[in-house]
Amino acid sequence: MPIKILAFAGSPRRFGNSETLLDWVLGSMIVDPDVIVEKVALDEADINPCRGCNACEKLNKCIQRDGMDIYHDKIIAADIILLSSPIYCMGIAAQPKALIDRAQVFRSRKYVLKLPVVPLERKGKRLGVFLATAGQNWSYVFNAAVPSVKCFFHVIDIKDTDISYLMINGVDEKGAIDVHPTARTDAEKLGKSLIAEIKKRLAV
Amino acid sequence: MQVNLLGISGSPHRHGNTETLLDSFLDGARETGASVEKVVLKTLQYSPCRGCNACHKTGECIVNDDAVVLYEKIMASDCLVIASPIYTMGITAELKGFIDRQQYLWARKFILKTLYFSNEHIKRHKGIFISTAGLGWENVFDGAFPVITALFNTTGFEYFDNVIANDMDRYSGIRNHPAALKEAFEKGQNVVRVIQKLKNG
Repeated sequence: MPIKILAFAGSPRRFGNSETLLDWVLGSMIVDPDVIVEKVALDEADINPCRGCNACEKLNKCIQRDGMDIYHDKIIAADIILLSSPIYCMGIAAQPKALIDRAQVFRSRKYVLKLPVVPLERKGKRLGVFLATAGQNWSYVFNAAVPSVKCFFHVIDIKDTDISYLMINGVDEKGAIDVHPTARTDAEKLGKSLIAEIKKRLAV
Repeated sequence: MQVNLLGISGSPHRHGNTETLLDSFLDGARETGASVEKVVLKTLQYSPCRGCNACHKTGECIVNDDAVVLYEKIMASDCLVIASPIYTMGITAELKGFIDRQQYLWARKFILKTLYFSNEHIKRHKGIFISTAGLGWENVFDGAFPVITALFNTTGFEYFDNVIANDMDRYSGIRNHPAALKEAFEKGQNVVRVIQKLKNG
């Protein structure tokens, strides 16, 4: 069975710093012949914000018909899910926030309807990754983004301890990350270690 | 002198907990003599920031839609009241999409240096954050505060107060909360009195 990797590039700016960071991680994964990677640019994914209607608490599905119809199933099928976002105004960008809020259907399934999100035998065999870049150099610039990201992975059955983070501050203009001293090495190291870890878990 | 107060509702859910709390705040402000306008983001047409950084050169956003009009209104207000429910530990995607559009003002302030707020200006302009959350966790608003702070900083408002109520799921809605609506009404009265005093003093 191939290892399925689903990557959401959350920035509205294509091929900027956060997407480059994501590409480095993916690049170090895809060299493995057992790996299938699908990368989605959220700006082109047609994912509307959550309407807050709570219908999913009864219907076990979202009443909106959009790109999320496709990604809902892919999120369940993936072994590793990556999300990248720039920090705008101290938080994740609006596009990844829309994706995260639409995970409400998984939360309803898990906590209201008490149904499984992934089959029991796949629990503990999924990994999550959050990649972020920020123009500001402040050490706390990622603090407001992380709780939303944790919730997202939590409701899709990826435990806190199975989430990896690589967050690079002080990169603003396009291409700034290319000259960052450690970002690329750390990203590639992360990609390799994730593949090793998921292979270990899937083999069990 | 008239106090101009602008309330912005960032909830996609009309007349839900957060908008009801905002309405109570606005009622208090209106009763105290403020000129009140309420805008519901869901009824506007705007797109999120594209991150193109064109505004870093010109100080203008290349996207001409309702967001720019609303920022003009914000800049003409004495009091800015921002309301959003907490979804997944943060503000809604609608409100985040709007707040991210402030980048052109940020560029004017920090890159082009064509926009500046004196301490006196900031003191006279008050920002209020109104929010509700389903969860009862104490830290449920922590992801929202830094984003709201960024908005108030960029637009020249002092972050004056919060009206926040968590645990909505347990209360089955804001109307069953023992104190929140009254607190919102009184805080609406209070901020208008404070601004009136600053304007007339």
